[in-house]
This record gives sequence, structure tokens and C-alpha cells, in this order.
Amino acid sequence: MGMWMQGGVDEDDKLDVHQTRKILNRTFRRLGPYRRRGFLAVFFLTTWTAATLAGPLLVRVAIDDGIRARDLDVLNRSTVFYVLAAIVAYGTYRGAIFTLARVGEEFLRDLRRETFDRLTAQSLGYFDRNKGGVLVSRMTSDIDSLSELVQFGLLMFLVALFQLVATTVLLAFLQPLLLLLCLVTMPILVVASRKFQRDSNVAYLKVRDGIGATLSSLQEGINGTRVVQAFAREEAQAKRFASTSEDLYDSHMASVRIAAWYLPIIEFSGTLTTAIAIGVGAGLVSGGSITVGTVVAFVLLLQGLFEPVQQLSQLFNLVQSAVASLSKIYEVIDAPTDVPEPERPQALPRHAPLSVDDVTFSYLPGARVLENVSLELAAGERLALVGPTGAGKSTLAKVIARFYEPDSGSISVGGVDLRSASSAELRERIVVIPQEGHLFSGTIAENLRLALPGATDDELAASCARLGVLERIQAFPDGFQTDVWDRGSRLSAGERQLISLARAALVDPDVLILDEATSSLDPGTEQLIEQALERLMEGRTVIVIAHRLSTAERADRVGVVDQARLLELGTHDELVAAGGAYSDLYAAWTR
Amino acid sequence: MRGGDILLTIALVVETVSPVMHCWGRLRGMDSSDTSAERGRHQGRQLLISSLRSVKVRLALGALIALGWTLGRISVPLLVRLGVDRGIENGDRPWLWAGLVALAGVVSGICLGLRRYVAFSSGRRVEADLRLRLFAHIQRLHAAFHDQTAAGDLMSRSQTDLQQFQNVFTMVPITVGNFFIVCGSVIMMLLLHPVLALLALVGLPLVTIIGRMFSQRLFPVAMQIQTESAELASVVEESVTGIRVVKGFGAEEVQRTKLSKEADDVFDRSLAAAKIRATFVPAIELLPNLGLVLVLAYGGRLVLDGDLTIGGLISFNLYVIMLINPLRMLGMILAQVQRALAAGTRISAILETAPEIVSPSKPTPLRPRRTDEGGGARIRFEHVGFSYRDDLPVLRDIHFEIESGETVALVGPTGCGKSTIAQLLPRFYDVDGGSIEIDGVDIRNVDLAELRRSVSLVFEDTFLFSATVAENIAFAQPDASPGQVRRAATLAGAADFIDELPEGYRTVLGERGFSLSGGQRQRLAIARAIVADPRLLILDDATSAVDASTEHEIKDAMDEVMKGRTTVVIAHRPATIGLADRVVFLDDGRIAAQGTHEELLATNARYAEVLASADGPADEHTPAVV
Ligand SMILES: Nc1ncnc2c1ncn2[C@@H]1O[C@H](COP(=O)(O)OP(=O)(O)OP(=O)(O)O)[C@@H](O)[C@H]1O
Ligand SMILES: Nc1ncnc2c1ncn2[C@@H]1O[C@H](COP(=O)(O)OP(=O)(O)OP(=O)(O)O)[C@@H](O)[C@H]1O
Ligand SMILES: [Mg+2]
Repeated sequence: MGMWMQGGVDEDDKLDVHQTRKILNRTFRRLGPYRRRGFLAVFFLTTWTAATLAGPLLVRVAIDDGIRARDLDVLNRSTVFYVLAAIVAYGTYRGAIFTLARVGEEFLRDLRRETFDRLTAQSLGYFDRNKGGVLVSRMTSDIDSLSELVQFGLLMFLVALFQLVATTVLLAFLQPLLLLLCLVTMPILVVASRKFQRDSNVAYLKVRDGIGATLSSLQEGINGTRVVQAFAREEAQAKRFASTSEDLYDSHMASVRIAAWYLPIIEFSGTLTTAIAIGVGAGLVSGGSITVGTVVAFVLLLQGLFEPVQQLSQLFNLVQSAVASLSKIYEVIDAPTDVPEPERPQALPRHAPLSVDDVTFSYLPGARVLENVSLELAAGERLALVGPTGAGKSTLAKVIARFYEPDSGSISVGGVDLRSASSAELRERIVVIPQEGHLFSGTIAENLRLALPGATDDELAASCARLGVLERIQAFPDGFQTDVWDRGSRLSAGERQLISLARAALVDPDVLILDEATSSLDPGTEQLIEQALERLMEGRTVIVIAHRLSTAERADRVGVVDQARLLELGTHDELVAAGGAYSDLYAAWTR
Repeated sequence: MRGGDILLTIALVVETVSPVMHCWGRLRGMDSSDTSAERGRHQGRQLLISSLRSVKVRLALGALIALGWTLGRISVPLLVRLGVDRGIENGDRPWLWAGLVALAGVVSGICLGLRRYVAFSSGRRVEADLRLRLFAHIQRLHAAFHDQTAAGDLMSRSQTDLQQFQNVFTMVPITVGNFFIVCGSVIMMLLLHPVLALLALVGLPLVTIIGRMFSQRLFPVAMQIQTESAELASVVEESVTGIRVVKGFGAEEVQRTKLSKEADDVFDRSLAAAKIRATFVPAIELLPNLGLVLVLAYGGRLVLDGDLTIGGLISFNLYVIMLINPLRMLGMILAQVQRALAAGTRISAILETAPEIVSPSKPTPLRPRRTDEGGGARIRFEHVGFSYRDDLPVLRDIHFEIESGETVALVGPTGCGKSTIAQLLPRFYDVDGGSIEIDGVDIRNVDLAELRRSVSLVFEDTFLFSATVAENIAFAQPDASPGQVRRAATLAGAADFIDELPEGYRTVLGERGFSLSGGQRQRLAIARAIVADPRLLILDDATSAVDASTEHEIKDAMDEVMKGRTTVVIAHRPATIGLADRVVFLDDGRIAAQGTHEELLATNARYAEVLASADGPADEHTPAVV
């Protein structure tokens, strides 16, 4: 079923060794700013390791030199030192935990911010292509899954590496020959690790995709609850969700299975080495080339060698999972935008005519939604766009606002192509109230401030008064401070539109595009709002899209969009007189 | 880190004894933890326990395997010693010992793999089961709940919290297996030298107390972390769904500031948790050292006095050391348990929210549909009063009837309560006063699924699923034939554009159906309701984005659609209102007038005012302030 389609991992979505390394390098570079604290943490950790290692040593001294030698002084002294070492261990461990946590959390916070910055900078096309739930999972689950690595990984890595290097050096000194012998298990380790890396890459990428798909289904299920309940389809929906959820379970289990054969191999190869050391060591001893003591010490040290190797292999697993998350996050950060920023932005002239020049546009290749649309709007003109459903009116509005890049043709204000304007300026000059009016949870005031972040309460009230909606807003239980709840569900559809319109009244754009922004209002209120807007937008270019032709009548000019083309353009009276599509439409309206 | 395994044992033991400690603390009046946090934690614990039960076979198996692994692991040093003593020193069949060591390695390796598999699979199983339970429950929760709950928050509970929750399960088998080992070493110590053993274990009660304090301090912070994460998720979710508005106003910066604040909050709370961890975790690690020092000091004297052999002291020490390593990770695991409890609390908060709108225990069946009398439902509003919140009445004394097969238009100014009436009929909310009857039966006495199959509501904002066009239309009846689907699409005026879509009826719609235009989406929603073939059809402003020319086409089709059922249309446009036999005019939550459109236009000034110029070019006057 399409609804529950899950993005599978295709062949080129795999991460090879090279890419993995690139991702890790990049992550290390990102850790650069926290270097100082990182060193501090390493210092804490080293001292802590030393203090903890001192404990057993002191016990040995106490037993050998104190108790065995019947020297009470030594016993007492080593007891005191032991207590001291424990205190140092306490202090440094505390420092290490806190410092490392701080580095990790700062890293995650900055990563969250950057990812979100990049995400919001994407064009609408990006949001058409990517499911909302997947994008949410990038910002939440994917980043969360790094925290384990960031918090414990470094600690584990450092301790294990420490131990590994120390033991290897000791072994090399003790008996290089035997050490070489132990390397016979190396190929097993290497081959297993390579295979593990390849398999786990795929598995973990699948897990990430599965989480994205699950969150998408969840989001859809939550947002569509009312529809589901309206048709009493709760059980069927749950059943459908079960299949997405089971897919995620399966991909989790696939990754578990891979780790479940890899980790034992590492464990086994450690023991195998010991076994070989015993067998070969016995041969060497009987041959007289080494002493029994050496073999014993060697065997004991071997255990110390494989303990960190095992820990590193677990860490490796953690890294693999983190790399999958990181690659998904970096994908968001790196995604090129369809609507690029100009290198040297040009200022848009104010109160200048807007011209649409031979614009052709398609969302998906092949299906043209706008074809050779040309349009010239004088500054301060009001244009109404009408036309049948799906003709391309909203699309034209979005292309004019440069939400999408036209396939060919251009849009310019006062002769300056919009492509050479910065997006910040563009958003200030051309404001669109989209068809899908959307409120955010929070107060009415917060929703209004979306348009003008710094606005004072008085400014909000004044602009609502100008639009004629002040009394309505004040009539809500807490006035401007009324919480509108999730997606504005506390308000009626018309009330939500009024708030959206009030947002528009707050800003001061040169071009305002209203895409069916009054469709849910009762005609009485609609008329009042339109008149207020007309006064407010005096001297500004306004494009309204409406199905109620009463709105079209009030505009300076009317454009009829049909089948991706701008069919007719003229004043209301001209078009009615011309007897074309508009006059039919108008006849239907007034019938 | 292997020490961690044993530690979890202790962590869980601490959790188990903590209620006892809690009562003890209460008695001594030293417990100041606020009870709501305690209650929350209790809920989390309940969920944890019931989930543990659900996978108990798997967990027991895991524990057995863990035991096998431990045996394999322990036997390696033993075999090594034998190998050294006999094989190397005495030259007695060294390869036999080497082989035995390798065999032990194979056993412990296999057990390790199996244990990991079993442990993780039980965690993931619990996660998947709970996720499905959550989803099914959320689907059944009443509209008022959804009004106030951010989608991002629910998503966060079903993902981030669940993730934290399942983490604990992956540790359980190892824990149980190792529990025996800890017990074993304590018993060995007691057998070796009871007095020394007591000294050595003197730190353990302290560990319990500190662990208890640690948990108590950490739980609220863990809860805050989860809450803040959910808020962050909500900001992201809202920004993504509302991206068109954000872009329309160039408000990216506003959303970024919001996110930045949430990211700071998460950071801040995580750091607070780190601070607590940094205080307690090293302390917990420090405590067994206390025992070691005591053993050293006192035991040393015993040896000096000749009351204990050196060998005895050394092996005793080894047992104490066996406890140190475990305790090293105790704090970390306690922390994980607390986070899981916090997550569990948040998950069970949803699961324990009972749906407020449910089927009655003894439903009254509706009369079977009878075509001879029109087939539509007869609706009666009996002095209905309703408010979303107790203090603000939205509907007052709504009293009217709709005959079977009749079409009624609900007209009224913005915010007067039209959609509210529409949503009361399929019981998205229950009336506060009075009652609503369908065919003479109070809708609260009708089986909910039956009621909703009889009543179809087309909402004012269209929600489509990311599925194919056909699946969306056949949503209410997935087994509808392609012919039925096509007929519904034709009646809703959607057939033409569907045929033009790249894959026709099999085109998959994008998320939230955004790849269709507003009007196209509305038509699919109407087609969806037609397939449901309800006895009462409610169209809540469902043609607002339909253009004037097609509205008249739809009108003809609508006559067809309305045949055999009762219809309520909410509309602002005369053409749509004209479809109705009768208009009910609502104002400010009351019925202000009833009659035909023309009657009302002629007699009711307020009605004309609300519909303003909708009547066409004739009226040029400016209406009075609404
Ligand atoms: N994001 C998208 N991806 C692909 N196709 C799209 C997308 N948005 C719209 N379309 C298609 O483009 C065409 C024009 O859509 P548009 O929203 O511009 O219509 P409209 O004239 O505004 O219609 P309405 O009056 O119903 O709002 C429609 O056929 C629609 O299916
Ligand atoms: N879910 C809700 N919770 C609380 N209050 C609500 C909720 N939905 C609507 N309201 C309030 O109840 C009143 C009636 O809302 P309703 O949606 O029924 O109006 P309406 O007549 O459909 O308006 P419109 O024409 O704008 O759709 C409004 O004042 C609104 O603020
Ligand atoms: Mg409404």
C-alpha cells in the first residue's frame, strides 16, 4: 500500500569505507570548537585511570610489604594512600563525566540548530518531496541516537585505547615471537570487521529509514484521526500501522543479528589466541627456548589485550549506527536548494511594477502546470485570479513569490529579476497568505508575531483594529493571549483565516498575494475585510485568488487561468463584455 | 562493558527495594520528594513491570543463556591455569588444554551472540508492541484530546520515549544471569569469614541509599529532558507542516529562534542531569572501596595476629574486587532506569487517558435502512447546549428537526457554531445539555461505529492520506469496486482531473495531499463521503474552493448524491445554499431563524447582512459592522 510505503535502501544508498571515513572526519572537524574542554576531559580521565589503577597496586603493597612482611606501618600507610587515591578518583571521575557530557550536549545542540537552519532554508519543493515525518525524525531520533556515542563513546574509546596500547607494548617487549604468533587471528578480526562494516551499514541505514517511515505514518495517523474516526476505520488504520511498525522491528532485528554474529567472533578469536599461546608456548618451553614464567605472563597479558579489543568492537557497532544517522543528518544539511541565493544580491526597487515574463513551470517533469504565462502589473494594482479548480492559480502565486523556480521565463520587479534578490529581502517585499491557512500552537499574539517578530502589543492591537478584527480577538477568553492549541484547533475555520489575515496586516510588503485567504469567511465579514485590506494595501500591488467572483469584481483587473494558461486578462467589465470564459463564469456565479 | 551487567542487577534491586526505603524514609520524615513525581514514577514502573511480563519467556531464556556465557567465561581462566600448570609446566598434553580453552571460547562466544540477540529482540518486541498500542489508542482518543495535544508531542512519545523505555530491556537477561554471580560472591565471602564479609559489605546499604537519592533526584530531570525533547519535536513538526506559512512571511528566523530556545532547554536539562550523574556516579563507585579499605586494615591485622591466612585474605579480596567492577557502572544504569521510568510515565499517561467518547454498553440498534421512505436519517436536536470549555457556551438551546431525506443548509456568520453542530452529530463531542436523536434514538445510545457509518462528515479542512487516489476515495469501504469509486468521483466532480493525473486512480498522493490543488482535494473528500453511503451526509463548507462554474455542475450531481439520504450543508454561497430545502440560520450559538433562502433574505436583515453581496451584483451597499 502506498500509504505505508517504506523507503528502502537502494544500492547507492550504502556507505562504503570511504564515505564512512569522510563522515567521521567531518564530525571530528565539527568537534573542533570543543577541543579545549575535550583536552580537559582527557586530563581528568587519565588521572582517574591512574588513581583507579593505583588501588590494586596499593593492595598488593599492603599485602606483600605490609602483611607478609609483618610491617604494620606499611599496612597503615597503604591504607591511607588507598583512601587518598579513592578520593582523587572520585574528583576526577566527576570532572570527566561533567566535562564530557558538556562537550557532547553542546555538540548535539549546535547540530540541532544547524540542521534546522538548513532545513528551513530549503525551498517548498524540498518539502513536497520529503515527508514531514521523515524530516522530523532527522531532527529528533537521528540526532538523539548520537547522544550515546557522544556521551559514553569517547570515554570508552579512550580507556580501551589506553589499555590496548599499553598491553601491546608490554607484549612486544616480553616476547615478540609469541606476539607475532597471536597475530594469526588478526585476519579473522579484519575480515569479520570488514564484513560487519558493510552489512551493518545497510542495516543501520534501513533502521533510520524505518524510523522515518514510522514517524511519517504516526504523524499521518495523528493528524488524520478525525477522518479515521469519522469513518470508523480505527482498527483498519491500526492494522496498517502495524505493518510499518513491524518493518521497523524487522530492520532493528536485522541490525541486531549482524552484531550478534560479529561480537562473538571477536570474543572467540581472543580465546583462540590464548589457546594457541598455550599450545605453542608449551612447545617452545619444552624446546627450551623460553621459560614457563614468560608464557604464563604472556597468557595473562593476552587477556588484557582482548578485553579492550572487545570494547572497541562494541564501540565500532555504536559508531556504525551513528554514521548512519550522521549521513542522514548531513544529507539534510548538504541538500542543495532548488531556489539558490544569488552571489551578489541586488536590491529590489520599491513600489515598482511587477512583471511575469513568459513563465513555464512544472512540479514534476512532463506535466506543465503553467505554460507561457506573461503578466504585467503596475505598482498598486489589484489583480484577481480566477479559474477552475486545478488550473494553476496557486501555482502562479507561488512562482511569483519565488517559492519555486520557473523552468523558463522570469519574474522581475522594476526590471530586477527576482533571481538576483536575496531571499530575505524577497520575503519582506512579497508576502503570500497561502491557501492552507495554518496556525501554530501558542497564543494569538505569538501567531501574529510570526509576521513581525518585534511587534509590541499595541502595534498588534492597532493593526487588528485597522483590519477590523480587534473586537473579535478581544472577545476570546484571554484576548490576544488566548492559546489557539494545536494547529489552531481552538478556533473556527473562519477565525483562523482572520488571524492569518491579521498577520498580513502587520507587515508592509510591496506585493501581497492572498490565496483564497477569505474563503471560509461569511460574505459579510469577507466584504468588510476586503475593504479594510484595500485601504491598508493602498499603493501596493495585490494579487487575490478567489472563487467568489464578488472579489473579482472589486479588483482593478481580472486574470482567468485555465489549463495552465492565462486565458484572459482585463477589467471585469471588459471581460464580461468580451463574452469569453470569464463572462461564462460570471454568468454561472450570478445565476 | 561487562561490569555493567552485574550493575544492572543491583540497579534493579535498588529499584525494587526503593519502595521499602521510601516507606522507611517517610516514617523517618526525611523524604521530601513531591508525591506527584512519585506517582508518575509509579505509573512508569507499572508499565515497565507489565512489559517485562509480556516478554518473560524470552527474558528467562536470555538469563539462561547469560548463565551459560558466564560459565564459559569463568572456565577460561580456570582452563588457562590448568593448561599452564599441567600442559606447559608438566608437558602433559598441552594441545588438549589449548583445545579446551578454545572450546570454552566457542561456548561463551555463541552464548554472547545468542544473549545479545534475545536481549535486543525482547526490547524491540516490547517497543513494537507498545508503539502499536499507542497508535491504536491515539486513534481512539476523543477529539477534545487531539485539539489540545500537539502532534509532535505524541510523535515524540511514540518514538523518543519508547526508545528510552526499551533500552532497559536489552540489559535484563544479562542482569538476571549476573544476579546469581553477585549473590554467589557475597555468599562465598560470608562463608569465608563472616565478620570480614560484613565489613566488606558495609558500603552496600550506603550504595542503596545513595542510589535511591540519585534516582529520586534524577527522575524529575529525566522527565524534564523527555518533555523538552517533545517540545523540540513539536516545533520541528509544526514548522514542517506549516512551512508554507513560514515561507509566506519569511518567518524562518522566528521558527529558528523557537527551535534554538528548545534546543537550549534540552541542553540545559541534559546538563542538569549530567551534574547529578557527576555527583552520584563516582560516589557509588567510591563506596565499595570503603569495604576494601576496611578488609585491608582489619583483615591485615587478623593475619598479623595469626587469625587468618594470607591466602584467605587474598581470595577474600578477590571477591570484594569482583563487586567493584560492577558498581563502576551502577550509576550509569540507574540513570538509564530513571530515564526509562520517566519515558514509561509519559507513555502510560497517554495509554491511561480513557477515550471520552465511547460506545454505550448496551447499544440500541438503529432501524435498518428503508428505501421506501427515502432512506435518510431523521435528526432531532432537543434543546441542545454545548461548550468546549465549561465557561463558554458555544451552542444554546438548539432545537430543530430534519426530516428523513431532507436537505438543510446551516448558515451563519464566522464562529457562530456551524461546524460545532456538524461535529456533534457523529459524536466528536458530546452535548452538555439536551440531546440529539437519530431516528428517535439518542445518539449516545447508538453503537459508535454504527453511528459513524450512518453519518458522514466532510470536514472544512481536507485531510487526505498519502495513499493512492482510489484508496483515498474508498477509505470508508476498502472493498469498494473500481466502478463504485469512479461513480463517486464523477458525482463529486473529480473524475476529470483524476483521469489527467499521471497514473489516474493509482496516483499516490503526497503527504497531506499537497500535490493536488485545494479544490481538487475537497472533491476527493466529497467522493470519499459518497462511497461511505451514509444516511446523513454533512458537508461542512466543503465546496469553498470549488469554482463557480463547476459549482453548478456539482449541483446536478449533488441532487443525485442527496437522493436517498438526509443532507446538511454548511455554506456561504447562495448557489450551495440553494441546494437545500430549508435554511437554518444560526447566530451566536442560537437558531436565529428558519425558512427557505428567499424567505430569509426577504424577512431577516441579519441574514442578508451575513450573506452580503453573495446575492450578486445587485447589492452595492456596505453592510453594517458585523
Ligand atoms: N506540489 C505539487 N506537486 C505536484 N503537482 C502539484 C503540486 N501542487 C499542485 N499540483 C498540481 O498542479 C495543478 C495546479 O494546482 P494549483 O494548486 O495551482 O491549482 P489552483 O488553480 O490553485 O486550484 P484551486 O482553485 O483548486 O486551488 C493541479 O493539477 C495540481 O494537481
Ligand atoms: N475545538 C474547539 N475547542 C474550543 N473552542 C472551539 C473549538 N472549535 C471551535 N471553537 C469555538 O467555538 C465557536 C464556534 O466554532 P465553529 O467552528 O462551530 O464555528 P463556525 O460557525 O463553523 O465558523 P466558521 O464559519 O468560521 O467555520 C468559535 O467561537 C470557536 O472559537
Ligand atoms: Mg466552520
